[in-house]
Amino acid sequence: MATVAESVNYKGKVINFPLANQQENEVADDMLHENLARPTTERTKRLKARCRWKHASAGEFIDSEVRAGIERMRFITEAHKASEGQPEVIRRALGLANILNKSTLVLQQDEFIIGYHAEDPEMFPLYPELSYMAVQDYLMSDYSPQPKEEAEAINQYWKRFSMQSKGEGYFSKEDLTRMYQVSTMEAPGFATGYNSITPPYETILQDGLLKRIEMAKAKIEHAQKEMEKIPWNATEGLEWISKIDVWKAMIIADEAVINWAQRHARLAKIIAESFETDPARREELLEIADISHRVPAEPCKGLKDAFQAKWYTYLLCHAIDRYASGYAHKEDELLEPYYNISVEQKTFQPMTYTDVVEMVEMERLKISEHGAGKSRAYREIFPGSNDLFILTVGGTKPGYVDACSDMTDAILEGARNIRTTEPSIVFRWHPSGRVKTKQHVFECIRDGLGYPSIKHDIIGTEQMKYYSQFSKNKNGVTDDEAHYWALVLCMSPGVCGRRKTQKTRSEGGGSIFPAKMMEIVLADGFDWSYSAMQLGPHTGEPTEFKTFEQLWEAFRTQYAYAVSTVIRAKDVCRYFEGKYLQMPFVSSIDDGAMELGRDAVELSEQPNGWHNPITTIVAANSMVAIKKLIYDEKKYTMQQLVTALRANWEGHEAMRLDFQNAPKWGNDDDYADSIIKDFYEDIIGGEMAKITNYSGGPVKPVGQAVGLYMEIGSRTGPTPDGRFGGDAGDDGGISPYMGTDKKGPTAVLRSVAKVQKNQKANLLNQRLSVPIMRSIHGFSIWKSYMDAWEQLNIDHVQFNVVSTAEMKAAQQEPEKHQDLIVRVSGFSARFVDIPTYGQNTIIARNEQAFGANDLEYLNTQL
Amino acid sequence: MSTCNDCTYFFPVPENAGDFEPGKGDCVSEKEDAKGKYWLSRPTTNASISCPTYNKSK
Ligand code: SF4
Repeated sequence: MATVAESVNYKGKVINFPLANQQENEVADDMLHENLARPTTERTKRLKARCRWKHASAGEFIDSEVRAGIERMRFITEAHKASEGQPEVIRRALGLANILNKSTLVLQQDEFIIGYHAEDPEMFPLYPELSYMAVQDYLMSDYSPQPKEEAEAINQYWKRFSMQSKGEGYFSKEDLTRMYQVSTMEAPGFATGYNSITPPYETILQDGLLKRIEMAKAKIEHAQKEMEKIPWNATEGLEWISKIDVWKAMIIADEAVINWAQRHARLAKIIAESFETDPARREELLEIADISHRVPAEPCKGLKDAFQAKWYTYLLCHAIDRYASGYAHKEDELLEPYYNISVEQKTFQPMTYTDVVEMVEMERLKISEHGAGKSRAYREIFPGSNDLFILTVGGTKPGYVDACSDMTDAILEGARNIRTTEPSIVFRWHPSGRVKTKQHVFECIRDGLGYPSIKHDIIGTEQMKYYSQFSKNKNGVTDDEAHYWALVLCMSPGVCGRRKTQKTRSEGGGSIFPAKMMEIVLADGFDWSYSAMQLGPHTGEPTEFKTFEQLWEAFRTQYAYAVSTVIRAKDVCRYFEGKYLQMPFVSSIDDGAMELGRDAVELSEQPNGWHNPITTIVAANSMVAIKKLIYDEKKYTMQQLVTALRANWEGHEAMRLDFQNAPKWGNDDDYADSIIKDFYEDIIGGEMAKITNYSGGPVKPVGQAVGLYMEIGSRTGPTPDGRFGGDAGDDGGISPYMGTDKKGPTAVLRSVAKVQKNQKANLLNQRLSVPIMRSIHGFSIWKSYMDAWEQLNIDHVQFNVVSTAEMKAAQQEPEKHQDLIVRVSGFSARFVDIPTYGQNTIIARNEQAFGANDLEYLNTQL
Repeated sequence: MSTCNDCTYFFPVPENAGDFEPGKGDCVSEKEDAKGKYWLSRPTTNASISCPTYNKSK
């Protein structure tokens, strides 16, 4: 029998919570999630049943068939050797063209959206030109590309050309060693190859590549005429040389992409005519062939075209040209015009709403099969998933007019029906958003998907306008364009559209870890618990800090050092990306790069600088405990604290409990919150905002966690918040530490709302009561909570709606709980694929019920 | 010696295709594993020496 929430007395009435779906009374709590999937068609049911998931757990692929392919690394290397002496941007285009011309294509049974990025559906490609360390990692594993000797020779070849060997020369050995510890700072992007992008999908859907090629040809013709002008003027004339090369590279790339798509069209036709026996599928394969023959060469004419062109573009930008995490696009608005043609007007590729939901489900399963050639370290930080894939819906158009549509609803309904961990969804919340769509959002959350996560529409939109003022070429987004944004990865907004989008993670992304900094501040910058080295500047013996302010300033010094170092590393990486990792295909579909003849990686029109502090709350709670117990109440001395920490609290349990019981974040406690607010605004955001990055704008913090709160926790010694060494950190940018938010859900909101200044984004994880959310009042309570959240001007919130009973049952019998999904941090994961250490951090989060005082604060109408 | 040209899995690239070259073709093979059927297409040429998957066309 299912648990039903206890009644509450509210506004003089007894409120009962019967389940909204009475049949669920018969479903045991610990099996609920296994009863919620309902694929829309038999086809999507089959596709899900045979889905080639590429989830990793503790850095290892769960499916033993998954492995790296060799084709991509082989063909890019072949082209690099053959193109020696040519301009670098042309070499990059020839590299992409060689991959596309020679790679093996894959088409699977039942698929409608076709295309893959490796030579076998169980494989994923590698990128030796990005990071030889990441490839080396594969060569030493069971997933090594074969033949291994060839792969080793390729990796050796790229070592001297790699971003790592270029970037490292501009850092001291000391700084590099500190970054490679990944304990106060993430390793530099020039070494990891980890990346993200927001592709300008709009141009490819609206224009098609043939038009883009014509544009580039016209630009070259114009440039040549300018160069031939008499009298010759070198100060202007020579500038055309690099532009001509960029436009030529665009043409090479686009022609190769068209041929590659048309090879897919031929494959579909050959299967239809020579292999397929089912007449209905044969007809469908011919339709697939027709689509890939036309797009992305030509503009999309209907919704099926749009899904296919979008998929090809995704593969090129995220997996074939370069690796990039994420799935950044405003999917509902991008597809809405084609939805209207196919569903409303039925003038091309006529479809029903249900057909669209099936397409959404098929697209989700394509993403679920997508493998990423990330190094082991980056597989470890996304346990239970493939990679970060996050699409954005909802929000507003110019003038804060609701942007939700039936396409938004189809995306949400497909997600709820098929139940896959990826791609995750972000919903931009605005009061004008239609209730019908918010109900779909709720149903996904109530069913425990962990997504959509919710972002504050006005905060994100105004942020795009703010960054625009720093544009180096005075061409940042207009006020209207500022409304068209999506999350670049899990938390940070970035503009979408035909130009000005973010092209590389060296603009925004990357992490720093305040919990570890707190630890070393208490050891004069020395890391005694993990690396046994001086991990930051000398900031003084803590026992000599006479005042709390001295401790505060010591932390500031450690933090300022770390944040400047990591952002310098990103900008050095960007410098070399612009010279050696150009992206001619992306440039060809970016209106700015096309107009100016500049490579899309090198060109910056809209700054979007950010960096991710992860484990801030452990550091902030530590500050609170130290201030209270050492400087205010003088119950302990700093010497006693240092001694207890060095012993991992062993022999000091009473003292540890005092530190653990000191006021904690998330309880609307003025003592704790006033210190923590300053910590966020003055140090975490304030120091970061002093930096100016490659794009000319400030860098702001995007507090979040991915799976790094576990990894960094394991590398962080004991901390003054009462935490033992090795325990996990806090699981979100501004989330209370697990289990310490004890005053109910609205107290959490009131605490979080206090931090406003110098922030770009902050992740808030909340776990809500399953029986309340699944009751007849679930939507009303959640909606009133969301309205309050919006009014409090909080940037983000996301939810787990999953019972402890079900998670514990899944730990006992994982094979029976394949459909149990949980929200880890910025991504959702299959619970049984998460290592036990991580599973326990989710179980330990407080399950928030809604008492009468919460309902009164929210003014919920029941 | 047999060549791709004599194999049932060889499909010449049509002359109007963007990647047409004389003799160039697609080698299309059907695969099946525990997760289902799929097809692979690899570029080849009619004169390439046949591979172990060669299947003589009638
Ligand atoms: S490569 Fe082998 S299977 Fe393919 S066409 Fe040639 S002989 Fe046939």
